Amino acid sequence: MEWLLQEKHRSVRQSVRRFCDRELRPIAANIDQEGRFPWGVAEKMGGLGYFGIQVPKSLGGAGLDSLSYAIVIEEISRVSAAIGLCVTVHNSVAVYPILSFGNQEQIEKWIPPLARGEKIGAFCLTEPNAGSDAGGIEATALADGNDYIVNANKVFVTNGGIADICLIFCRTDPSAGRRGISVVVAERGTDGFVVGDLEDLCGMRANPVCSIRLYDCRIPSSNLLSKEGMGLRIGLAALDTGRMGIAAQAVGTAQAALEEAVLYAKQRHQFGVAIGKHQSIQTMIADMATQLDAARLMVYRAAALKDKKLPFSKESAMAKLFASEMATRVTDLAVQIHGGYGYSKAYAVERYYRDARVTRIYEGTSEVHRMVIAKSVLEG
Amino acid sequence: MEAGALHIVVCIKSVITQAPKGKIIRTAENSMLNPFDRPAIEVALRLKRANGGSITVLSMGPPAAEAALREALAVGADRGVLLCDPALAGADTLATSNALSAAAKALMPYDLMLFGTRTSDSDTGQVGPQTAVLLDLPMITGINKLTVKTEHLLVEREVDGFLEIYEISLPAALTIHPKAATPRDPSLEGIAAAFDEMTVDLIGIEQLEIEPEKTGKAGSPTRVLSMKPVQKDRSCDWIEGTPVEQADALVRRLVNEGLIG
Repeated sequence: MEWLLQEKHRSVRQSVRRFCDRELRPIAANIDQEGRFPWGVAEKMGGLGYFGIQVPKSLGGAGLDSLSYAIVIEEISRVSAAIGLCVTVHNSVAVYPILSFGNQEQIEKWIPPLARGEKIGAFCLTEPNAGSDAGGIEATALADGNDYIVNANKVFVTNGGIADICLIFCRTDPSAGRRGISVVVAERGTDGFVVGDLEDLCGMRANPVCSIRLYDCRIPSSNLLSKEGMGLRIGLAALDTGRMGIAAQAVGTAQAALEEAVLYAKQRHQFGVAIGKHQSIQTMIADMATQLDAARLMVYRAAALKDKKLPFSKESAMAKLFASEMATRVTDLAVQIHGGYGYSKAYAVERYYRDARVTRIYEGTSEVHRMVIAKSVLEG
Repeated sequence: MEAGALHIVVCIKSVITQAPKGKIIRTAENSMLNPFDRPAIEVALRLKRANGGSITVLSMGPPAAEAALREALAVGADRGVLLCDPALAGADTLATSNALSAAAKALMPYDLMLFGTRTSDSDTGQVGPQTAVLLDLPMITGINKLTVKTEHLLVEREVDGFLEIYEISLPAALTIHPKAATPRDPSLEGIAAAFDEMTVDLIGIEQLEIEPEKTGKAGSPTRVLSMKPVQKDRSCDWIEGTPVEQADALVRRLVNEGLIG
């Protein structure tokens, strides 16, 4: 696949890898166990442009392409999937929709601090009773003079505990069904904006995933993104890009698991030889490497299509579906190769296994992705 | 130009990242900017930030070496020059120094030439000093601190437990010790600019004043005859006694072998 990549992409990979190996690797296991967000590293990432990867330079971003974006997410996730998650969600489903659907005033107000990582973004769609069925959300934003009065109970908000700028999906016209859904930008600190407790999750523990609740929160109507009723369109556009990031994240986690498995297969001796000499281990390694390679190609293809401004929605859905399922298989095999040690927190593969699992669930479950892909295939 | 503003030429190398198996073919995949050159680039960047001036990065190498120059552009170098010519292939350190010094003359006027102390692949440490000799520049090696004065530099090097402070007149050449400065990371914006907007000047030997027989394989008085990995024997000695006796014996041994002071 190297023919897909240019020198620039290799340089992006090399520099992000060097940074993450030096700054993030030494603390990756601890921040997972302590459920702690590493502010120090995040600030450095902000200075290097990781929070505005595709934002134009004129707005304080790095001005890179989608392939570079996928590589950055892959490399951060190779070291810490939870921080890869923070960066991809911020870039793809917070920054991107503001950039694409915001007006000039909104872009100039919110994008520069987001792009520099001085403010963190979050995407607030999921509710206790609305997950895969995004049209079923209950949050409301009712007009009151020049404001909206917003009431919302958003759960499983990635970056929720640290987010300053939140895209709230809510009903501006409760009688209009799916067409009544809009996106209102809520800023932390507004009266009635409440950050809930951190979720105690299986993986991605260094990401402050939590609920965000808005109680009679008065938000100026100038914070409406695009027009009323555009909510689901904005959400779907954001998720097309977002799922590419999640796929890249799954690739990074699987890459880390494969590297650990290969290292262990060479070191660990049983029956008088390194276990990598046993055919059963070789079969696992071969399957892991092949599936990982296929997933990576799919992610890069989706990114390359987007860079060429060609349709990439189906390809990005396929990449997300395949990469997330691949990552759970590959991390599972990495645990298997490690035997009992793979089930211990003393070895990194235990964390990779936990982190990989959610990639099949968030930003669209595997099941929803199959629906999207099938629709696209059947309806041509 | 304002006082203290220097034109600094930093000579860098694109090194091989993997141990060679058979003939070495340098590609973008197995190449990277020599890590020992990064502190030299960083020192140049700090001098530029403090005093103004400009930075040219210069390298001799195959086309794949261009990426290393762009990495220097990504952190803030102003110009990248790649001396690239099939006639330069197979150069040893002397032939490399001949070529680099000819290229440096083409970049005149400059005030300071910086090198890393060595490279992570061939590790000779010879190219910096040889190039300085060929350019008739004063040189001090292994610098870990430097200050710009009006017509000269004050530089420090640590050697054998001593701190040496020198004055050196400009133009001068220095090799920079890795302790001198922790190199910065390129920002993504810097990488985008270096690859999407900036150019690297390619020059061949016909653009330089150099006799072809002094470069490449023809100009190399030394030749690598063979190269193979060294097999290291490992052994394990058991130290007996109570834990305190074991610890004492271990410390004594490490001291005797000069491993701890």
